[in-house]
Amino acid sequence: MIELPERTRRISPTRLLEILQAHDCKSLVDPFMGLPTHLNYLKRHGIAVHGGDLLEWFVRVGEGLIVNDLTYLRDAEVAEIVEMLPGHIYSLDLFKAWEGVFFSEEQCVYLGVWHDNVRNLRSDQQTGLAILGLWRAFCYWMQKTQSPDDMQDTPPSELAWTYIRQTEQWVVSNMRRNTVRQGDVLATIGARTADALFLAPPPRNSFRSADARIWMWEAWWQGNPYFTIEHAYRDSLLGARAADGPSYARALASILASADGYPVIVMQTTEQRIGELEPLLRNARSNVKIIAPHSYEMYLVATR
Amino acid sequence: MLVADVLGWFGAVGDAAMGNAPGFAARKASLAVALAQTANLPEAEWHAIYYAGLLHAIGAIGNTAYRKGEQLTERIARMESWDAPAQGAQICETIGCLPAETADMVRWQHEAWDGTGFPDQLRWTGIPRPAQFLALADTFLAANDPEVALGQIGLASGRAFNPETVRTFTMWFHRAGGEVDPIEMPVDGLLDAPPDAQTLLERFADRIDAHNLVPGRWRRIAQIAGATATALQLSADEARQLALACRVFGAGEIDEKAVEDEDFDPLARLGVEHRARNARAAAALAHPYERLQGAAEVVAARGEWFDGTGKPKGLARKKIPIVSSILAAAIAHDRLDRGERIDTAAGTQFDPAVVRAVMEAAKLRA
Repeated sequence: MIELPERTRRISPTRLLEILQAHDCKSLVDPFMGLPTHLNYLKRHGIAVHGGDLLEWFVRVGEGLIVNDLTYLRDAEVAEIVEMLPGHIYSLDLFKAWEGVFFSEEQCVYLGVWHDNVRNLRSDQQTGLAILGLWRAFCYWMQKTQSPDDMQDTPPSELAWTYIRQTEQWVVSNMRRNTVRQGDVLATIGARTADALFLAPPPRNSFRSADARIWMWEAWWQGNPYFTIEHAYRDSLLGARAADGPSYARALASILASADGYPVIVMQTTEQRIGELEPLLRNARSNVKIIAPHSYEMYLVATR
Repeated sequence: MLVADVLGWFGAVGDAAMGNAPGFAARKASLAVALAQTANLPEAEWHAIYYAGLLHAIGAIGNTAYRKGEQLTERIARMESWDAPAQGAQICETIGCLPAETADMVRWQHEAWDGTGFPDQLRWTGIPRPAQFLALADTFLAANDPEVALGQIGLASGRAFNPETVRTFTMWFHRAGGEVDPIEMPVDGLLDAPPDAQTLLERFADRIDAHNLVPGRWRRIAQIAGATATALQLSADEARQLALACRVFGAGEIDEKAVEDEDFDPLARLGVEHRARNARAAAALAHPYERLQGAAEVVAARGEWFDGTGKPKGLARKKIPIVSSILAAAIAHDRLDRGERIDTAAGTQFDPAVVRAVMEAAKLRA
């Protein structure tokens, strides 16, 4: 059985918004955005948000939640995603490698069908919303492998339908331009300027213990069940080149050096890592304030 | 006055703002604590869980989705309502006597295990377990039938709720038969920290006025009422009850679409029912709390008329408590376009002596 790790850090967008408002920040760049639900919250509250990530599916979801101001998926469109369409030839074996290991035969067939259907959507925004909805269905299945007797058996199409329809509620406009891009941290920081830079840098070598729900979904989106996350991070700033402590610290220092144009830097961390990150931030900025509501949710707020 | 009474009252006002049944907050608090006990959570967390349950809805007070006078579409109203937990948490953070964890339990009580909750869309183990217990308690109590609720919660396992938490809930349900045993407010769990009860009550009254779109109203009314009480030589105890009544009467209008005197002139007979209903609602919210019972009685009689044609009891002349007469006249005076118009209601709606004193107090204030 696959292990689903405990979450060891938390980003609370409500708290982040309080920090941004306290510093009168109206725009934010997040180059390690991950699943951009926190950026969606900030967008809803009028902040112009710009996110970046190395994993493509996060960026695609960003197209649906961040860039998208008004498109959503109607019932008929959702129906064309969640079920096999007549007259369409599907690559039903695409995820056969996962069969019996993580999922049942039926689930693997559906993963293939959904992959094809989502790839055929014409709108980037709808694609992003569909990826998010289907990911939640995928996570439900993963969770069910841990608690098989506690969770209901729901037909895959019904489960996917519910989750995709739900994505509509997060589509919102803030009358600002919001963007996402796939790329490494320095490219994202250089591509945009904003009032604040939000950094939640992944711990050193963390891709080796990445949550299966994250990397497997990138594999799904790429249509490659053998995809490994090391591949995505290989040539990145915090990837293989930053495997040892000093190189990791140098990489973080270079990020902070390139963030000189941002009036405010907010760095999210944990009690475990604060000793490593705080000195780096203090080297880059004269004022650093620590907001520490929990041991696994801390924010270093740096100003000039 | 005890801080615990003020907190309990404000929790009940939050429920009213959100449209929950009376007593919902206390039941939610009790059930969430029972679940925490079933799950063997450390005893130190029980107090925070209780107060988070009690104050679960205070973010609705002043929230755009619930506030008076807002014309929002259903979609926008829903989005605005997602901010209520975070607003509640912000209020809790300013109450020094609450256990430190309370605010975040309020903040995350509507998060869903699968990440589809609000406001932060936290997912999986990122949601603290006590917050999940509060969410479970909310779902259970919102359903009419315990068996139906049990079914709903079972279906939501792995979606809204952590499957492990649902197991805890099921264990509690079968042990307790689905009956929520009320738990006494853990007064000893409150810390000795500012603000004091008086300041807290005033802050809450300010928030209620902001929700009702009449900012600063209770302060103006308390000033006039206080000066009137001095002029009429009320006892210290009566003056104290009057001062408290000025702070709590606005809660009676919290779930109304409009402030009472927007529909009717404050001196019009047509508004009798309306004013009496709001008076009853405010009194019902305050009455369960020992230190606010006197104020509740003052507020309850503010819809009575001097000539005996008022509501709810039709009391006349000296049978109407003088403090209630003062409160009623001060409220009406505050709303009138020209304060001296209150004179026309002397002898019918209000005690002439009270009217004279209110007018004098208003002159002094001017």
